[in-house]
Amino acid sequence: MSEAPGSATENARGLIKGPQDFYGGLALVAIALFALWASSDLAGTRGFSFGPGTAPRMFAVLLLGLGAAVALSGFLQDGPPLQRFGIRGPFFVTLAILAFSVAIRPLGLIITSFVCFLIAAAGSDETKWKETVIVGICLTVGCALLFPYALGLPLDLFPRILR
Amino acid sequence: MDFDIFSHLGLGFSVAFSPVNLGLCLIGALVGTLVGVLPGIGTIATVAMLLPITFGLPPVGALIMLAGIYYGAQYGGSTTSILVNIPGEAGSVVTALDGFQMAKQGRAGPALAIAAIGSFFAGCVATVLIAILGAPLTKLALAFGPAEYFSLMVLGLIFAVVLAKGSVLKAIAMIAFGVLLSMVGSDIETGASRMSFNIPELADGLGFATVAMGLFGFAEIIRNLDPGAAMDRDLVQQKISGLMPTKKDIKDSTPAILRGTVLGSILGILPGGGAVIASFAAYTFEKKISKHPERFGRGAIEGVAAPESANNAAAQTSFIPLLTLGIPPNAVMALMVGAMTIHGIVPGPQVMQKQPELVWGMIASMWIGNLMLLVINLPMVGIWVRLLRVPYRLLFPCIVVFCSIGIYSVNNAPMDVVLTAAFGLVGYWLVKHDFEPAPMLLGMVLGPLMEENLRRALLISRGDWSVFLTRPLSATLMAIAAFLLLLAVLPSLRKKRDEVFVESES
Repeated sequence: MSEAPGSATENARGLIKGPQDFYGGLALVAIALFALWASSDLAGTRGFSFGPGTAPRMFAVLLLGLGAAVALSGFLQDGPPLQRFGIRGPFFVTLAILAFSVAIRPLGLIITSFVCFLIAAAGSDETKWKETVIVGICLTVGCALLFPYALGLPLDLFPRILR
Repeated sequence: MDFDIFSHLGLGFSVAFSPVNLGLCLIGALVGTLVGVLPGIGTIATVAMLLPITFGLPPVGALIMLAGIYYGAQYGGSTTSILVNIPGEAGSVVTALDGFQMAKQGRAGPALAIAAIGSFFAGCVATVLIAILGAPLTKLALAFGPAEYFSLMVLGLIFAVVLAKGSVLKAIAMIAFGVLLSMVGSDIETGASRMSFNIPELADGLGFATVAMGLFGFAEIIRNLDPGAAMDRDLVQQKISGLMPTKKDIKDSTPAILRGTVLGSILGILPGGGAVIASFAAYTFEKKISKHPERFGRGAIEGVAAPESANNAAAQTSFIPLLTLGIPPNAVMALMVGAMTIHGIVPGPQVMQKQPELVWGMIASMWIGNLMLLVINLPMVGIWVRLLRVPYRLLFPCIVVFCSIGIYSVNNAPMDVVLTAAFGLVGYWLVKHDFEPAPMLLGMVLGPLMEENLRRALLISRGDWSVFLTRPLSATLMAIAAFLLLLAVLPSLRKKRDEVFVESES
């Protein structure tokens, strides 16, 4: 995933002909191996009836095979190079969502949604902070009215200490 | 038989015309259009994002609203393709070809009107078709045993893979990945905890809304933030004057609408990207039979009318396999299944018999929803256009906040929000490696059903795997699946399949 794009283009001309598929397939193989390991403690087939571990292992093996085939085709066939991964966007959007999950219980909806909005906004390099803050305030007010009142969701508005 | 249809539809309309359900249908269609119009957010993402707000409603209302959201989102998608040349989803790619040209010539009004009228007509035909085909297909489905069901699901998935865009191998791998994900959590029969690592939030399995919102909602937002992904928005600046199409427009587009409807209705029933294929096919077909094919791509009204009708007809008839067989033919229908399961409804033939008011109410509301789109949205085009001018840098943090609140409110569980973030990154990674997330979602929804039927079939046959090939119905389904798969891998057909997509996209 964190393959530098520069080396990827060189790879494309070198040994690995379709890096996009090759690494994609390898990742699927890794996921399948992980699933096999995670379901290894489950009971298998007894007599005619499936145990809880039978189907997960069956599909993990299937994914293993398919992932290997994708990787192999990426190794042998010419394919597109690895695409450039953005860093700023994914980082700040994920951070915003994680901040939301941590803050929503203790801090309430108002603070959480405003903070979450600002962190997410940092994910774009076009962001102008003045307008962002204004829109953020409007959004927070909107959320505070929309979700608990209009949609009737049981969300706390204010931090726990104030309640 | 024929009277059945009327009594069923009558029941449906009596349910759908209750003030509450009418209101929900209206809100769904409006909100769906509102989100669907936002650039860069496709139909699946719209439905996935709005899924949580329907969870608090009674089942019938929730499904009616979701269906409304679905049409609204589709309609919103065609609006953006005509006005800004940014197709919100794959299905409206071809609409953008001629629609945007018409808009440039100052004929955005007629283009939008014809799109809406075509969609409405197609919706009417498809609604009747669902009512007619529903009952007999349900009877057929009741004759199915576990082996047949398993084979049918295999066939459905293979269909989805063959008709979808991109590599067949990778799509099947995605299905296997999805099925594997569906197995996290308690085992249905023994209750044993599977692959949940003693995390209490995983004991019930991965939430469907969580995965869908992550894969389609957050992943799409992140992807739009990529450098270079900045969309050039050459929004048509002229004022949209006059919605009414001329007499010539109507004369030109009527046959196109009829052909699009027929093509869409048929293709929609088939599993796979029904609506997408339908609009591509309808456009290509119109161009082929036209006396002046050179007009296409330069603002031919048939190029808007045909794909839009086909798109909508297919969107509706794709409910048929879902309602009668309980098998979602595409990702949006998979989301509907997810919503049904959350309300404790297992889609399939039993629902049609035990809860007719639910099924027929939903079918009737489809027609009402289409009418509402026609009546309400055309006058509101001005508002949608203004919405299109909202810059993405302000839009996306709002969506992040809304989605977080939505996903949190499903179970009031912060862990769900964390998982959604994780699936957002997974979805982003998948797109970067050219893996389609839609088959994965399909696999995830069908996973538990497949496992259950596989287990039962093998238990009944006393562990004999040949049961799938010795029971005639099951064997037929498997044979078709194998045949399709073979066709898809054959180089000659594959080339043709790729050509269809390439031609329509360029």
